[in-house]
Amino acid sequence: MLSLRDLQIRFATTLLNAGGDEIDRIAIYRNTVFANYRNALGATYRVVQQIVGVPFFNAAVDAYVRDCPSTGGDLNDYGGSFGDFLATYRHARELPYLPDVARLEWAVDEAGRAADLRSTPESLLAALGTIPADRITALRFALDPTCRFMDSAYPLLRIWQVHQPGFEGDIAVAFGAATDHLLVRREAGDVVIERLAPGDFALLRALAGGYDLATALDAAIAAEPTFDLGTTLRTCIASGTLTELRGE
Amino acid sequence: MNRLLPKSAGIGLRAPHVAQVLAERPPVPWFEVHSENYFADGGQALAALDRIRADYTVSLHGVGLSLGSTDPLDTGHLAKLKRLAVRVEPALVSEHLCWSSVNGRHYNDLLPLPYTTEALDHVCGRVSAVQDFLGRKILVENVSSYLTFPETTIPEYEFVVAVAARTGCGLLVDVNNIYVNARNHGIDADAYLAAIPPSMVAEIHLAGFDASGPCLIDTHGAPVAPDVWSLYERALRLFGRVPTLIEWDTDIPEFAVLQREAATAQSYLEAGLAVAA
Repeated sequence: MLSLRDLQIRFATTLLNAGGDEIDRIAIYRNTVFANYRNALGATYRVVQQIVGVPFFNAAVDAYVRDCPSTGGDLNDYGGSFGDFLATYRHARELPYLPDVARLEWAVDEAGRAADLRSTPESLLAALGTIPADRITALRFALDPTCRFMDSAYPLLRIWQVHQPGFEGDIAVAFGAATDHLLVRREAGDVVIERLAPGDFALLRALAGGYDLATALDAAIAAEPTFDLGTTLRTCIASGTLTELRGE
Repeated sequence: MNRLLPKSAGIGLRAPHVAQVLAERPPVPWFEVHSENYFADGGQALAALDRIRADYTVSLHGVGLSLGSTDPLDTGHLAKLKRLAVRVEPALVSEHLCWSSVNGRHYNDLLPLPYTTEALDHVCGRVSAVQDFLGRKILVENVSSYLTFPETTIPEYEFVVAVAARTGCGLLVDVNNIYVNARNHGIDADAYLAAIPPSMVAEIHLAGFDASGPCLIDTHGAPVAPDVWSLYERALRLFGRVPTLIEWDTDIPEFAVLQREAATAQSYLEAGLAVAA
C-alpha cells in the first residue's frame, strides 16, 4: 500500500500531467486547479487580460503555473513573477510592453495589500529639525510601505489608464513617446499611480533601496541635471511618501 | 471579545459585497470570511473587516493551510492566521480536512485524503499542532471529493469523527459536501450524519453544486439544491440548532440572493426549534 506521502506525490504528478489510470477523476481536479489560477490571476492582471483576450490569457496562465508553481497557501500572494514570465513567453513576443503592464499591475496589487502608514509629516519634520545641517546628506529615509517603483520604456501609465473600467475618450496610445517613471502607492486607502520626473524617481528609488541622501542625490542629478532637492523633499514629506528617518 | 456564533443563518462574506454591507449594515446574524483573504499587512480589505467585526460576529474559515499534507506545517501561514485571529477575535476558526501541497508545491485547492490509519494519525497530529500554535480549538470541515482511493480503509464519517474525538477539535459539517460525496461515491448521507455525535457539531455549511457533468462538482456557484435542504432538515433533527452558513464563491450573485438563501436556512432552524419546544 502506498504511504500517504507517496500517494500525495503520485496524485500531484497526475494532476499536472495527464496520464495514468485515474485520469478521468483527477482531470476534474486538474480543471478546478487551473481554473482557480486563471481566475485569481485574471483578477490581478485585468489589463493584461484585456489586451490579449481571455483565451490567450488563460493559456499564458496555464504555462506560467507549470513554469513558476505556487509555493504557498495564500493565492493572493501568487503571481508576482507573471510579468517576468511574459517577457520570456514566446507567444507574447509581439507585445514587448506586456511584461511591464503585468509588473505595474502587480505593483498596484502589492500596494493595495502593504502595511498601513503609521507616521505623519509632522513627526518626520520634527525629527529632521533635530539634525545638524552637516549631517543631512548622511540621512537615510524610510518610505511609505505601500510605495512601489516602476520604470518602463513604454507609455505604461497611458496604457493602464485607457484599460480602466469607465475610461472614456480616445484610447489611442502613442508609442515611441517618452519613457515612464511611475510611483505606485496608496493614498487615503486607494492605490494611485503617479508619473514622476526622472530626478524625483531616481532619488526616491535610491532612498527606498536604503542609500543615504548624498548617494540618492547623485543619482537624481545624473538622471535630471536641474534636479532641485529642496522642492522634492518638501513635496515627498508633505505627501507622506517619505515617512521617517532610518537608523544607520 | 470572542463572541459565540449565533445559532442562526450567517452568510459567507465575499469581496463583491463588502462595500454594500458596510454601507447598508444588513441584518445578518454573522459573517464568515476566508482567512487568507485578510492575510495582508494592511490596506482597504483589512480595514473593512475591522469595521465589519465591530458590528457583526465573524468567523474565520481557512482554505490554504494544507492540513493533511505530508510537507511540514507552514508556520509562516499559521503565523499570519494567528495574527489575523488576534486582530479579528473571531467566534470560530475553521480549516478543511484535506491537503493542497506536496514537495513544496501548492495546488491551492482542496484535495482529498485517503482514509487510512496512517492518514488519521498524521491529520490528528497536524490538527493538534495547529490548535497548540493558535492557542484555541479549531473546527475541521469535511470536503467534497470526486474520487476515492483504493488505499482507503475507513469510512469518511468515521475518519472525520475520529479526528474530532482524538484532538478535541470541533466539526464544521458541510451538508452539501456530504450530499455531493454520497452521490459521487454511493454512500448513505443519512448514515453519515447519524454517525456524528451532535456534541461535536459547531457549525454547518450549505452551498450549491454543479450537476452538469458525470459527477457532482462542489462549485459554490448555485443555490442550495432541494435535496440538500431536506438533508439539512434531517441534520438539524439530529444535531439540534447549529449556526449555519450560506457559501457562494463562483458566479457570485447580488447580496439579496444570499440573504434569501440565509432566510430559508433560518426558517429550517426555527422550524427545528418549534419541534424541539
